[in-house]
Amino acid sequence: MGKLLYFIRQALLNISQNKLIHLISLGTISIAILILGVFLLLLVNVEGWIKNWGGSITMSVYLEDNLPKRQIAVIRQALSSREGVEIQRFISKEEALIELKSALGPQSELVEGLTRNPLPASFEIAIREPKTDPASIKRELEGIPGVVEVQYSEAWIKRFRGVMRLVRVGGMMLGGLLCLGVLFIVTNTIKLTIYSRKEEIEIMKLVGATDWFVKIPFLIEGFIQGATGGLLALVSLFVFYLIMASNKGIFLSFTLLEVVFVPHFYMTAIVGLSSFLGFLGSLMAVGRFFEV
Amino acid sequence: MRDVSFRVRKGEFVFVTGPSGAGKTTLLRIMFGAEKASSGHILINGINLGRIRRKQIALLRRRIGFVFQDFKLLNNKTIFQNVALALEVTGANPSYVRKKTRQALRSLGLIKKEEAYPLQLSGGEQQRVAIARAIVKNPLILLADEPTGNLDPDLTREIMVLFRTIHMKGTTVVVATHNRELLKGTAIRKIYLEKGRVIKED
Repeated sequence: MGKLLYFIRQALLNISQNKLIHLISLGTISIAILILGVFLLLLVNVEGWIKNWGGSITMSVYLEDNLPKRQIAVIRQALSSREGVEIQRFISKEEALIELKSALGPQSELVEGLTRNPLPASFEIAIREPKTDPASIKRELEGIPGVVEVQYSEAWIKRFRGVMRLVRVGGMMLGGLLCLGVLFIVTNTIKLTIYSRKEEIEIMKLVGATDWFVKIPFLIEGFIQGATGGLLALVSLFVFYLIMASNKGIFLSFTLLEVVFVPHFYMTAIVGLSSFLGFLGSLMAVGRFFEV
Repeated sequence: MRDVSFRVRKGEFVFVTGPSGAGKTTLLRIMFGAEKASSGHILINGINLGRIRRKQIALLRRRIGFVFQDFKLLNNKTIFQNVALALEVTGANPSYVRKKTRQALRSLGLIKKEEAYPLQLSGGEQQRVAIARAIVKNPLILLADEPTGNLDPDLTREIMVLFRTIHMKGTTVVVATHNRELLKGTAIRKIYLEKGRVIKED
């Protein structure tokens, strides 16, 4: 206990004797960790939004041609009784054709020549079930008699998920680079403080200090640097979040979207990672100590 | 160095002497584990320095006091802190460190200067601080490398008296010096070095 206090006191002494170096590296570390945090914050939010959207995707349920009204009523009943499904409207064959014509605009003549209406009647439904995979809902609904096919914007969702995967991989790579940067900064800072105390270290070893006795204060010093850098980054991230939340309309033009801060787990992880990097950096700096 | 073989008994006082470059400092540094001998055996208190691990060197140094020619004091630390350092590195608790440090400073007449910094002291006083740091841990052996090299004759005599006193208390003392004045008229054993060899003993 007394030893630990001694080491911590030495570490703080090191910091206070090399204030400028520490301040500079503290600033750099917190900026690096902040960038990582901003990335994490955006990722957490965008993933949340996707989850919400995924929960309210719309599907079109196409029906067989010329179904009697009674069977259409049975299908309507089957759809509305399924949990998480909300029928938005029924589109008859005629309505479908009118919609197609208006969608084609000046080219609507293309369909004028048709002798019969090739479009199927359909139900437009919304799925309000974030957890279930849309593909399995599709399969399930296609099992209802009288239903020909169920379509939803699968490609869009897939593409969006692909983009997110890319973003995540990119984030990891960026994060890796930033971590290396932090490691490099800490290592150099600690090397500088070691250098500034070279004479003292030499004398300590000459009067019988073990390598670890000399090293531990520097390890604590690196840890303190990483931890304070991490905390500082977290505070800055929170400020960034407040600004983002209050300006979300301007910021992302998604006024309806909820902006949330990173969960506790990530907060702990940010500070933990930063502290660990600080420790690791100083461990690399102390390496093999001066041979005396 | 070659053909160097001698034995210093527990509680003995020995001079190592010879011209500059004879190997006195090297010999002391080898005895202290600061340098490794390329061959041969060096036994200190039964420990073979040729086969010692780094950690054990640190532990050995806690039992050996070393007085350096250039004092090796830290100018940004007070006299008290300089002397206390030798105990702090052993992980001793602070109250013990304080007590022992004061004791050592008192025995060397430095207690009034404990808050001073090395550069505020005279050469003789700085040398006494270096000695205080060497003896504060009650070493078995005290090694001194040209302890009077930078001092005038009066101070030299004073420092030698200190070494005798330390020796009287049971510590083995080895002093390296090229100062012939120091050796005159003493019955103390002397080992003469020249060009890295022991040329005579008396």
